[in-house]
Amino acid sequence: MELKQQETMDTNIEVPIKPDKGNSPFRIAFKRFLKNKLAVIGVFVLLGIILAVTFAPLLTEHSPTKSNLLLIERPPSEDHPLGNDSSGRDNLSRLLYGGRISLIVGFSAMIFTLIIGVTLGSIAGYYGGKIDAIIMRAADMMLVLPFLVLCLTIVAILERVNVGIFVAIIAITSWPNLTRIIRGTYLSLREQEFVLGAKAIGASDFRIIFKHFIPNAIGPIVVNATLMMATYIIIESGLSFIGFGIPQPTPTWGNMISEAQSLRILRNSPEAWIPPGLAILTTVLCINFIGDGLRDAFDPKSNRR
Amino acid sequence: MYKYIIRRLLIFIPMLIVLTIFVFGLIQAAPGDPITGKNFDPNIDPEVFERQKEALGLNDPIHVQYWNWVTKVMQGDFGESYIFKGRDVSELIGERIGNTFYLGIFTLFITIIVSIPIGIYSAKKPYSILDYGATTFGFFGLAVPNFFFGLVAIYVFSIKLGWLPSQGSVSSPGLTGLELFLDKLQHLILPGLTLGLAGTASYMRFMRSEVLDVLASDYIRTARAKGMTNRSVLYKHTLRNAMIPIITLLGFEVGILLSGAVITEGVFQYPGIGTLFLSSIGNRDYPVIMAINLMLGFFILLGNLLADIFYSIVDPRIRYD
Amino acid sequence: MKAKKSWLVMLVLALVLGVLAACTGNKEPASSENEGASEKDPVTGGTVVGAMDTAPTGLFNPIFYTEAYESNILSFTHEGLLTQDKNLDFIPNLAKEWTFNDDQTEVTFKLDENAKWHDGEPFTANDVVFTYKTIASPGYVEAGGVRTQYVERLVGYEEFSTGKTTDFQGVVAVDDHTVTFKFAQPNVLALSDASFMIIPEHIFKDIPIAEIPEAGASRNPGEVIGTGPFQFSEMVQGEQYVLKKFADYWQGEPKLDSVIWKVVDQAVILGLLENGEIDFVADPNGFQAADYETVDALENVEIIEQPDFGYQTMGLMHNHRSKEDSEAGTINPANWTVNEKLKDQKVRQAIAYAINRQGLVDGLLYGRGIVQNSPIATQFWAYDDTTPNQYEFDPEKAKALLDEAGYKDVNGDGFREDANGKEWVLNLNYPLGNQIRERSAPIIEEFLEEVGISIDLRQPKEAAAYFEDLEKNSQDWDLYLIGWSLDSTDPDPSGLWSSMAGYNYSRWNNPKADQLLKDAFTPPDAFEQDYRKQKYSEWQVEFGEDLPSVILYAANSLWAHNKRLQGIDVLPYSFLNDTHLWYVTE
Repeated sequence: MELKQQETMDTNIEVPIKPDKGNSPFRIAFKRFLKNKLAVIGVFVLLGIILAVTFAPLLTEHSPTKSNLLLIERPPSEDHPLGNDSSGRDNLSRLLYGGRISLIVGFSAMIFTLIIGVTLGSIAGYYGGKIDAIIMRAADMMLVLPFLVLCLTIVAILERVNVGIFVAIIAITSWPNLTRIIRGTYLSLREQEFVLGAKAIGASDFRIIFKHFIPNAIGPIVVNATLMMATYIIIESGLSFIGFGIPQPTPTWGNMISEAQSLRILRNSPEAWIPPGLAILTTVLCINFIGDGLRDAFDPKSNRR
Repeated sequence: MYKYIIRRLLIFIPMLIVLTIFVFGLIQAAPGDPITGKNFDPNIDPEVFERQKEALGLNDPIHVQYWNWVTKVMQGDFGESYIFKGRDVSELIGERIGNTFYLGIFTLFITIIVSIPIGIYSAKKPYSILDYGATTFGFFGLAVPNFFFGLVAIYVFSIKLGWLPSQGSVSSPGLTGLELFLDKLQHLILPGLTLGLAGTASYMRFMRSEVLDVLASDYIRTARAKGMTNRSVLYKHTLRNAMIPIITLLGFEVGILLSGAVITEGVFQYPGIGTLFLSSIGNRDYPVIMAINLMLGFFILLGNLLADIFYSIVDPRIRYD
Repeated sequence: MKAKKSWLVMLVLALVLGVLAACTGNKEPASSENEGASEKDPVTGGTVVGAMDTAPTGLFNPIFYTEAYESNILSFTHEGLLTQDKNLDFIPNLAKEWTFNDDQTEVTFKLDENAKWHDGEPFTANDVVFTYKTIASPGYVEAGGVRTQYVERLVGYEEFSTGKTTDFQGVVAVDDHTVTFKFAQPNVLALSDASFMIIPEHIFKDIPIAEIPEAGASRNPGEVIGTGPFQFSEMVQGEQYVLKKFADYWQGEPKLDSVIWKVVDQAVILGLLENGEIDFVADPNGFQAADYETVDALENVEIIEQPDFGYQTMGLMHNHRSKEDSEAGTINPANWTVNEKLKDQKVRQAIAYAINRQGLVDGLLYGRGIVQNSPIATQFWAYDDTTPNQYEFDPEKAKALLDEAGYKDVNGDGFREDANGKEWVLNLNYPLGNQIRERSAPIIEEFLEEVGISIDLRQPKEAAAYFEDLEKNSQDWDLYLIGWSLDSTDPDPSGLWSSMAGYNYSRWNNPKADQLLKDAFTPPDAFEQDYRKQKYSEWQVEFGEDLPSVILYAANSLWAHNKRLQGIDVLPYSFLNDTHLWYVTE
């Protein structure tokens, strides 16, 4: 991963379909989702991962943050099945506890980005005109604002960077892409007959946005959300690599991988980097399979019936 | 439309000014300066550093420093770097922008030639083995941190196999002509692949979903109904329509590639803008940070403008007023 | 059908990971192609490649460079009048011999007549005068120079550097090959002061001082002129720096044709040493201690390991400077306020006993370092390893000392309260930038909590922010980690630890210690090394008792070179010396 926000997917759905009365679109979607085996598997594996990291204290007795000078870079042993890291901390417990942080970072950053992005995108796309121009110029500004400088300044001023602040930085810098995409979708919806119709019978703006716009934009929203979550987990690891991530000794999958900074660890201690790597990969795969499932489920034109 | 474009271009100027004020304020708000803590030699009297700060104007109030910077930039002078003593910022950026540019182009090239055909194939035969393989590869690409892939690539291709150079942008000074070109190209391969990995993955996913959408749309169904062959449906109608948003995205990508390669450039010691930017931030080299920002800002704004213009060309229903 | 396909996905996944794992699995390092390289015959010519992990900023002028990366290149291209031998004594270099006057205020050097600049001009006394005069000039510091320590003891420095006079008297050319240094007072550091690298007058004389850093003669290949065995001839900015041999070198033609410095990421240095793409790695960072065994196992590579002149330390804030003084940058012990949290000497000693420093060396440094007890490099004659308290790791003693001082856990929370029974938390600050140090901070926290001291481990800050805080904003700091790299020329620690020193961040104010440092520097006694040694020994005892800082460890310098590179003669501070004698075997 690089220090960029994931370019979001713009699926650009053009032809909306009015929801069918009687059989709610969500029920149809749910049924479709169940038919997608990969997505269902994804749900279960992800649930497993969430359970494992939630009940980490039951699975390991070691502290993820306690260093031990005698155990530095020890290979796997009975007591420490994944060995120990460069500060003598237990890799297995770091993997489990780190999963909590990584998932929380990924998930909450995604949620916050969605809230900001969808709200602003809806307003801009629905009303257009001056409001649109203001929001979009603000989005441009945010895109131009260097993520690194923002990170560094906030880290330096606040003294303590915790997960919350980290999430906030990500959300603040990554909403513009999503906003642009939502807005783009809305712009083409705006002139459609059913919207004009709804307006004509006096539906409130709020109602129109929620009843007609958001359901029609759900495809791009979901795909983007899942991609974002995956990307944020990776972004954290890249930032750790250059020293701007969530600081040690707090474990995350990202900063565990960034320990593999030398060819020696890469070559001699696969137990140190393969597990967090696999954890990220599996999580990202699951999230994306689920995302694909959701996309297919919500997208009425999907090939898969 | 032209009025719109001109207006947008004019908006650039205040936006860039706001951007520079914002970045200047941010970076000044962060503690530290280009001199303190830089050379920690106990034989050097701290008084010396105080005098240097004074001489550089670092003790002036922020608005004075900003004004001094802006007035110089207006005259086309980006000043001298604080860290690379005696070197003009424009010269520093100049000698690296080329490298970053080559890397960006090469990466885009790889991204496109890999992701688009695979994406199309995946969409043509969704849920086939190749589709699943590509999906897995795609997410693998997304899930592997760049620095990590870079290290593995260096280890395998440079150190073990000895096929490709791992560090820098040329193997020796004094190469010219074709030799220089081929040498530079060789040095681009590993960083380009590394940098392109995540991009390739997401473009592939993106292409697949675009083509799927277009294939399912009414006019394609109509075309099919009229008896057009699959092949001509695919190439005549689908691709053209699916490519447009891709091109829009590529517009974004230019700015991202210019700034985004920090880590990859670091691992490969590839002297580009990314590493310069990172080290300038660490060293508080204000003139360099500001100049890079201004440049990136310009490119990204331009990219966005192009994207908006594309939108309205693609979909005439979108009006700009 | 669907199930089968998802199974396939997993298979592909497993394959991809398997390939990756196979590529990176345990493999025996290095082939044995280079076996017996050292027994092969020397060849004439040849090129060696050195690696550094960060690009130099590109200022190759001895009087203006500030970074170790430039220094790597300058040590091939430029020379001083004197250099240091294995015992750190000064020996002739560009100067053949020297004599002091009776009161030790003047030293006169005879220069080597054969020495030439890279452009063929002869090296003369005027070059020496020019170099020192330039450093002493008004505007030198403002132009970015930091080497005033070499001129500030010269006679008339104050007047000349402030522009009150244009007559520079500190260094005088007697004839073409004789030069005299004149000091304001008898100078213990006379030879050290005279050892600075010399720049050519004929190149720089017409360039105003403010423009020297940007002049081509300070940065461009072919234009940078020195007297050293190699000449800076070509570069790819930020990547490669080519040094070509200087055939007319005054100590004899170099055996190698050229030396190339390449900028290489720290993460891959190991691999490039292994496959022979780089021949040597030196200061500032060498290779990492964690890689020692791997490098040691490489058959084509030889390791050079010796103590470093720097050390890592944990400062204990004795006093805090007032906010106003910090802003103004003034040092006035009268305005300092005592740090109540660390004011008890027993408490400070308890902290020293509580930290397992040998453990830090064995663990974090993989044993590649030493525990040091006073802030003088162990290589110096001045280092006393016996009389000062050695503070062997002893948590029980730490607890006993804390009990004695009245710091006991009265509320039963597991941590001690201060002597008045009030909450007692020590803030521990540390900077980013040195991985080992970053790792040591939480470990030190654990050691201290082990004996009942409550620690607030602050978030690490990157260097620029950390040092600004340390100077201006450390009023609530108690413990702080810092690393110092020291000069090899003289062991005098007063720049860091005398009460008036700016870098005395602990704001340690101990009149007895100050007096000892002063005595060790006051002529005529101070010209006797034994006298200085005695004074420094007493000072080290005082340092150890009063503890302005707990010296944690000194990491060893870990350098390495390919065995095909021969003729290296290692000095305590470098091996980039006498490079004209380097040669390669094939």
